[in-house]
Amino acid sequence: MALLEVRQLTKNFGGLMANDRVDLRVNEGEIVGLIGPNGAGKTTLFNCISGFYPSSGGQVFFKGEDITGLPSNEICLKGIARTFQIVRIFKDMAVLDNVMVGAFNRTGSASVARKKAMEVLDFCGLLPKKGMLAGGLTIANKKRLEVAKAFATGPSLLMLDEAMAGLNQTETAEAVELVKKIRNSGITVLLVEHVMEVVMPISNRVVVLDYGRKIAEDTPEKVINNEEVIKAYLGDKYHASRRAH
Amino acid sequence: MGFHNKYIWLGLGAAIFLIYPLIFTLPFPRHLMIMIFLYATLGLGWNMIGGYAGQISLGHAVFFGVGAYTSTLMLMKLGVSPWAGMLVGGLLSAGISFIIGYPCFKLAGHYFAIATIAIGEIAQVWMLNWDWAGAAVGLTLPILPESLINLEFHSTKAPYYYIAFGLLILGLLATYGIDRSKLGYYFRAIKGDLEAARSLGIHVTKYKFYALALSAFFTSICGSFYAQYILFIDPDSVFPLMLSIVVCLVATLGGVGTVWGPVIGAFILIPISEFTRIYLGGGGKGTDLIIYGLLIIVISVYQPFGVIGLAKRFRKKESG
Repeated sequence: MALLEVRQLTKNFGGLMANDRVDLRVNEGEIVGLIGPNGAGKTTLFNCISGFYPSSGGQVFFKGEDITGLPSNEICLKGIARTFQIVRIFKDMAVLDNVMVGAFNRTGSASVARKKAMEVLDFCGLLPKKGMLAGGLTIANKKRLEVAKAFATGPSLLMLDEAMAGLNQTETAEAVELVKKIRNSGITVLLVEHVMEVVMPISNRVVVLDYGRKIAEDTPEKVINNEEVIKAYLGDKYHASRRAH
Repeated sequence: MGFHNKYIWLGLGAAIFLIYPLIFTLPFPRHLMIMIFLYATLGLGWNMIGGYAGQISLGHAVFFGVGAYTSTLMLMKLGVSPWAGMLVGGLLSAGISFIIGYPCFKLAGHYFAIATIAIGEIAQVWMLNWDWAGAAVGLTLPILPESLINLEFHSTKAPYYYIAFGLLILGLLATYGIDRSKLGYYFRAIKGDLEAARSLGIHVTKYKFYALALSAFFTSICGSFYAQYILFIDPDSVFPLMLSIVVCLVATLGGVGTVWGPVIGAFILIPISEFTRIYLGGGGKGTDLIIYGLLIIVISVYQPFGVIGLAKRFRKKESG
């Protein structure tokens, strides 16, 4: 049984089809990469799965249970945590307090939440920054904190929306390591990413969206050579010249 | 500040306020402190929804008025002790807060504040026309023998002083409890970023209701105390918009979303209002409001985190 199963998910904003009958399966223990050019509907799909947008059609199943249309806080309680592309940290709160807010998802006790948050901070390499105001962190650490907060809610599925966009090479490498560590700790990861170099080496499978439709789903190696994917990313011209060779 | 150091300061502060009425035996210094304690507690109450959860209410006079009227009406019509009336009023206010919150929490930011102003005005007009509850004439409380159970003291203000101090301690303990618990973290998260709070599993509306109900309860208790202290209430004295604004200002000036902010705010604002009343009398009516207005401008422009924020900034500069 798939951990997450999306069936025929459709989302339209007026006349714009942001997601057009998308099917998606994420199995337990996988890292699945969700890629596609700008405006392909990746974030919209995220928002529909995590309950931020009501979907226009289709269903979402998590652990076999229909979670379509549940509010986002309940979905988080079920075990799906997400991050935001533009970080949504609580900038006037300390780093530790940010993560504690996440940890309270599974406990009512402040001391238990604090202990859990410290573990998560340690795991994410943010422990030295725990007393700082979140607003004062560097971009890389803000992105890390965004992951830490979601991780602290105790999810079985973590959905990362461009957790590495805007980072330099070293920072990106560190972030990739973190994602691997999270997967190795037993949490399934669904990853939206723009940067191909990031997605390809760590994903078990890659799903490609274009104009709201799923155009490919395969192992990274096969997706790279998929004609339709190349067309979506580089356009018809490149596609044609390749053929001419 | 060290752990032990903090407790020494707290103990010292408490001791000073406990012996204060023994040193200052005249009515005015005692009255001044009673008003400071009362507004500090009101500020602490407002701080729960306005400071921690970030939902700016300008209609808190409703809860104050409900507290004042509930205990007074229960005393006059049923002969029930004001203490029981205080508790019933607090619970009634918490109940009313759900009715207010239901439509108002659908609004965000300034619109929420505007809606609460409207509700405050509706309540005041309602009370002005409700004959059974004294309407515009108000209610004069029956003069009963002095006793704690009657919550009336005529020969000295000292018992009122200690009761007001007790209310303040209660408010501080509750705030401290909120500050350190799941509630406080969730309130701050809601204030910081609604969507992020939702994504971390917080039922945002539910926690807003909690914050408002707690806030209403404390505000209402203060209203009952006020009625027993002044022994006369009317819609203009316990339901005015100005009261809602001053309560908000007390917390904002001191530092929103902090345990001590409202206390500091009350110690700054209430003397201004009491002293201008004394020295300028009727001719200077409104002078305190002018000063309040200036303070609002200064706070919002220079130090949105209030006096506490200023102190923190100073300390940071010192250490760094």
